[in-house]
Amino acid sequence: MSLLHFQVLSAALFSVGLYGVLARRNAVLILFSIELMLNAVNVNLVAFGAFLDPGRIMGQVLAIFVIIVAAAEVGLALAIILRVYRNRGTVNVDEIDLMKW
Amino acid sequence: MEVLNASPGWMTLAWLAPAVCAAAFLAIVAFRRVLPREGAYISVLAIAFGFVLFWLVLVDFLGWDFSERGAFSRAITWLRVDDTRLTWGILIDPLTVVMLGLVTFVALLVQVYSLGYMAHEPRFGWYFAVHSLFAAAMLGLVLADNFLFLYIMWELVGLCSYLLIGFYYERRSAAEAAKKAFITTRIGDVGLLIGIIFLFRETGTFEMSAIFHAAEAGELSKGLLLAAALLIFLGAMGKSAQFPLHVWLPDAMEGPTPVSALIHAATMVVAGVYLVARAYPLFLAAPPALLIVAVIGLVTALLAATMALVMTDLKRVLAYSTVAHLGFMMLALGAGGFTAGIFHLLTHGFSKALVFLGAGSVSHGTGGKTDIREMGGLRHRMPITFLTFSIGALALGGVAPLSGFFSKDEVLQAVLGGRSPVFFIAALVVAFLSGLYMARVWFLVFFGPLKNENAHAHEAPWVMALPLLALAFLGATAGLLAIPWGGSYKGLGSFLYHGQPEVAHFNPALMVASMALALGAFGVGYLVYGRGAISPARLRERFQWLHRLVANKYYMDEVYQWCINRIVLAFSNLLALFDRLVVNDVGVNGTARSVVMSGYKLRLHVTGKLYNYALVMVLGVILVALLWWVAVPRP
Repeated sequence: MSLLHFQVLSAALFSVGLYGVLARRNAVLILFSIELMLNAVNVNLVAFGAFLDPGRIMGQVLAIFVIIVAAAEVGLALAIILRVYRNRGTVNVDEIDLMKW
Repeated sequence: MEVLNASPGWMTLAWLAPAVCAAAFLAIVAFRRVLPREGAYISVLAIAFGFVLFWLVLVDFLGWDFSERGAFSRAITWLRVDDTRLTWGILIDPLTVVMLGLVTFVALLVQVYSLGYMAHEPRFGWYFAVHSLFAAAMLGLVLADNFLFLYIMWELVGLCSYLLIGFYYERRSAAEAAKKAFITTRIGDVGLLIGIIFLFRETGTFEMSAIFHAAEAGELSKGLLLAAALLIFLGAMGKSAQFPLHVWLPDAMEGPTPVSALIHAATMVVAGVYLVARAYPLFLAAPPALLIVAVIGLVTALLAATMALVMTDLKRVLAYSTVAHLGFMMLALGAGGFTAGIFHLLTHGFSKALVFLGAGSVSHGTGGKTDIREMGGLRHRMPITFLTFSIGALALGGVAPLSGFFSKDEVLQAVLGGRSPVFFIAALVVAFLSGLYMARVWFLVFFGPLKNENAHAHEAPWVMALPLLALAFLGATAGLLAIPWGGSYKGLGSFLYHGQPEVAHFNPALMVASMALALGAFGVGYLVYGRGAISPARLRERFQWLHRLVANKYYMDEVYQWCINRIVLAFSNLLALFDRLVVNDVGVNGTARSVVMSGYKLRLHVTGKLYNYALVMVLGVILVALLWWVAVPRP
């Protein structure tokens, strides 16, 4: 098991997440995809920590940071989506485009 | 040139003359409504003060040994930049004294005359205000000791001329004439300024005496001297109405007659002659320039003298006569006759101012007429005007023993000795013509039958007649200056000279010849215009094409108008087009519109759709990463 395997895994997960963010119509699913990207980053961080800095916990500490940020951000994002659903009756991002010209 | 030691009082106070007149101008402009007669008396008092000051300066100057010590000068510095000093300064030498006398005396007489002539004018106060300003500027001009000061006064004089020519600005022709005068003299003024700047660049100073010393000592390059002299002469050509910049002076007759007498006969137009005389060292150091002065003077004199013969408006005849005499003065200067030129300036100043004021008197007495074809026999109705005008006319024609004879004789002597015979013969022709056209107006206005509509013509009031008499006295006697009375006075050339004092010597043959010419001219005038033995109408018919050419002023105005229309205005239209299209439409409006258009296009990018924003962010990150990968060196 070398670092490369974990990097590839992380890249793959990240790309899937990125595709989801860009191509999904449902706002909640976009959130899912963002979570996926964040998890990919976490894997990357831990892998780097394990292979380049053995015995120490730097990578894992950074991963904890990311998890915390993700949690906060998801809470906020879900709240916004709930409000939008209450006002607009939809979570389809194609239809939530009032902030334009 | 610094003053060697302190000198007695009055010359140091000579600057008061222009200063008092300038103060009078300001006072009249500010307090016109509350002053008696709208401030006219203040103006007259100011110039009278100047006249008294002239006498004091003269007395003081006579005690100053000019031949030993050079000119008297005083200056104060008003600006100093590194080692360049700009000063207000006065320079008093015989030329200055002569000019001071002429300007203050004629200005005083004209202002007194104007008290009567302009009495019913609603803008009476403004008239006198500008008169005061003009007097201040002219006196400053003749006193100036550096070219910058002279130039400022030069422009100011031109401004006053513009204001006074256009005094009756409700008349379209007057406004146009004022514009024409200003623009034509402006062409000369630009030349003068460039010449002054050339000299400044070469010598580092504006002071006349320093520049003249440098010129005489040979420190200036020949090319520069010639260029500077010619450019200065260009300025003189503009102000003194030399060909081809003479076209403004006849039109300037649109102004009030006393203005014509003062500014366009005796004082402002002689500023050009004065400038050439003042800058004589430059001209002497660049002989081709002097030749050009003589040639232009001669051409001007011939052209103007021929035109004066066919004009029907009295003031126009006198205007062309002035141009011709100015050309005569330039010819004298160009032939090396410094004294002769200035002497003629002096006698012409008196005589021409006299006949102009006389013309004003005639116009005043006949209810506003100026066309000589409507006059005749006025000598019975206006004896004083007739007497004084006759003296002036005869003096201008050069009849002895009036002043004009002596000055014309000196000019002819100078031309004979200084230039080739062609000049001399042409000068004789000019002298003959000057007698002839004066005889023409003299006979047509004052002799012959009195027309019915002029039956009630009346003589001028005393306030107008006294200046006429004073000028007539001088016009008759000023010639006595030419005679060597004895002691240290050996003719005007021993007082007013350039280089070395000249002893007056008379050439009897020349005097007889010029007297014969003058009398001959008046004789021919009598035959044609007095008795009608040779009918002028028949002459006109015989030489129709010639008459038409001359009466249309050799079509010079048309040529100038064509130049203006086709060249100047075409160029202006081109520039206007450039300004409208390139600067305004493309530069200003175009910039604004392009901003607006780009905003219009860019706002379409704000779709409001989340995934678009996300895509752009991703692309941006990829771009930065690529750039980082490429451009940032790895350790």
